Amino acid sequence: MAAVQIIIIGAGVMGRGLAEAVSTSGHEVILVDKTTKLAARGIKGIEESIDREIHKWGLTQSDKKAILARIHPSSDVSQAEDADTVFEAIPEDLNLKRALFEKLDKICKPEAMLVTNTGTLSISEIAATTSRPKKIIGMHFLNPVTKVPLVEIVKGLKTDEETFQKAVEIAELLNKKWITVNEYPGYVTTRIIVPLLNEAMHVLMEGVATADDIDEAMKLGFGFDVGPLALADMMGLDVVMSWMENLIKELRDHKYNPCPTLRKLVRAGHLGMKTGSGFFEYDADGDRISPNERAEKQEKAG
Amino acid sequence: MKILVVNCGSSSVKYQLIDTETEIALAKGMVSRIGMSASVLTHKPHDRPEVKVSGEILDHIVAIEYVVSMLMSPNHGVIKDRSEIQAVGHRVVHGGEEFTDSVLITPELMQRLRSLIELAPLHNPHNIRGINACEKTLPNVPQVAVFDTALHLTMPPYAYIYGIPYVLYKRYGIRRYGFHGMSHRYVSQRAAAIVGKPITELKIITCHLGNGVSVTALDRGSSIDTSMGFTPLEGLLMGTRSGDLDPAVILHVMAREELSLHEANTLLNKHSGLAGISGISSDMREIVETARKGNERAKLALNIYCYRLKKYIGAYATALNGLDILVFTAGVGENSAKVRSLTCQKMDFLGIKLDEKKNKKTTAIEADISSPDSTVQVLVIPTNEELVIANDTRRILKAQTKRA
Repeated sequence: MAAVQIIIIGAGVMGRGLAEAVSTSGHEVILVDKTTKLAARGIKGIEESIDREIHKWGLTQSDKKAILARIHPSSDVSQAEDADTVFEAIPEDLNLKRALFEKLDKICKPEAMLVTNTGTLSISEIAATTSRPKKIIGMHFLNPVTKVPLVEIVKGLKTDEETFQKAVEIAELLNKKWITVNEYPGYVTTRIIVPLLNEAMHVLMEGVATADDIDEAMKLGFGFDVGPLALADMMGLDVVMSWMENLIKELRDHKYNPCPTLRKLVRAGHLGMKTGSGFFEYDADGDRISPNERAEKQEKAG
Repeated sequence: MKILVVNCGSSSVKYQLIDTETEIALAKGMVSRIGMSASVLTHKPHDRPEVKVSGEILDHIVAIEYVVSMLMSPNHGVIKDRSEIQAVGHRVVHGGEEFTDSVLITPELMQRLRSLIELAPLHNPHNIRGINACEKTLPNVPQVAVFDTALHLTMPPYAYIYGIPYVLYKRYGIRRYGFHGMSHRYVSQRAAAIVGKPITELKIITCHLGNGVSVTALDRGSSIDTSMGFTPLEGLLMGTRSGDLDPAVILHVMAREELSLHEANTLLNKHSGLAGISGISSDMREIVETARKGNERAKLALNIYCYRLKKYIGAYATALNGLDILVFTAGVGENSAKVRSLTCQKMDFLGIKLDEKKNKKTTAIEADISSPDSTVQVLVIPTNEELVIANDTRRILKAQTKRA
């Protein structure tokens, strides 16, 4: 097992989760964002995530040191020139992604594999901006990357077998089970979870049950670890809405039409766990707070 | 005969080049941080100062190649040519129920070793990697595997079967195996030599108190019981491992704190023991020092450690129906007079009486620390697992040439 050079572009929730997972598996990784400040914020997020895991006994202080030492923050995309594998984890926007891949194509060595973490967009469309569509592949990790043991490996129309095998190696390196997905909007996970989340939001909007009861019902009734509304909060309500919009655009099916409650929350900037409120309220550590604590928080906020 | 003794971990290789005629380690060292950006090789020839080199060591093959070059280096080396390495002895953690003795490594054996990975997923894969690496770097040099578990396969079924459905033993090999076999064997044989009696006439309890802690009852040289079980988690309190525990506790905590399997596993293996109880350290020296200054939690950790060891000694003395020699070995056993003293306190009904003066004076040397009226001889014996591996390697190869 030779050391592979891995670089991740985008230090948001997915990028940092991926960096933490790569480093936890014992490999060095460069984590790039537009500014040093953003990259540093990514590192801080990883530190907090490790602290939560230490708190849950899953890691030790010495693990923390070792994991952080293997992650190198940077604001310079041109560091991708030596990489064997480049992960893109920037916002779910086709134009942004296409622009980045065009740039990466010029920077990276010809044999480098470029991986997108998109959950809904077309790999082939992203690949079309590069001179190496064979070496472009999707690896759709799920949040939180260090905890969810699954990755969808998504082949674009032109992705070659060698690239696919490399993606499998990366999945195994990260100790993930993988499934193969042929390019199609939403793949398996996003395609199936999105209507479920949307339906839970409709049930809430129509006053059928409270948010707590909806989540409780799905958890106890169907063995979900997390209820659908809490799950949407975890994923980020803006992200969930962008998936829905991508699915509508691609599949023209009204069942993906975002629930008005979702639109309203997103417009109000209530994006879920990351902003402290969504369908539920959260403290700075991302822990759920009770209705009483919520009232206190609102009081303080005036 | 010059034998390279190798112990491969996930990102490290420890080695010694041992001359079996003189039983001297000509050089010892360790490669650490394999596969990371700055790997380090620490090398100490027996007659010259230690050297440290860093470089990019991507895998175990490169690591072994580095080790062999270092052994031949004009300045720091101890041999001129790699052909002087006549054999390689490997520490292999788990030998399952199959390997009661060390064995010559053949392609067929590798197959069997791979089938044991399931029993020791944290250790055996790296041991196998080390064997493959040595095969590449030192082709045609015979290699021998020496198992941690082999010594304990003499345990009777009533000592190794757990009180859970028997079918789980049949299905998955779930039973007590025990570890630290090389160490328990070495110190029990040394103990017999020190008292000048054949081991076949002795009842011995050996306490290996290192990072991992285990105690073994040896009846006339054979292990009849040992404190570690299916994994090295069972038994005594260790630096960061819990040792014996009501299994319902972990189920309860998993439910209360919503822990995953992985989290529960690291809770027991890395957050427990001396470190978990004291909140201070997993290092016994620090625990003893902090306890001396009056820290209650450090005192508690120290007392739990020694009390549980005392209970095991009592139980094993009963299992042996008597006791001739009690041995302390490994880091804590060789160095901590405090632990030895606390453990042996009020054991005179068993015939264990320490000479506290001798005990205090003894650090990392062979010594009898019992008082003249102690019917049990209490010995401190520094362990030497590498020498066991080297001697086993030579013995197995000799038997092999005889057979050929």
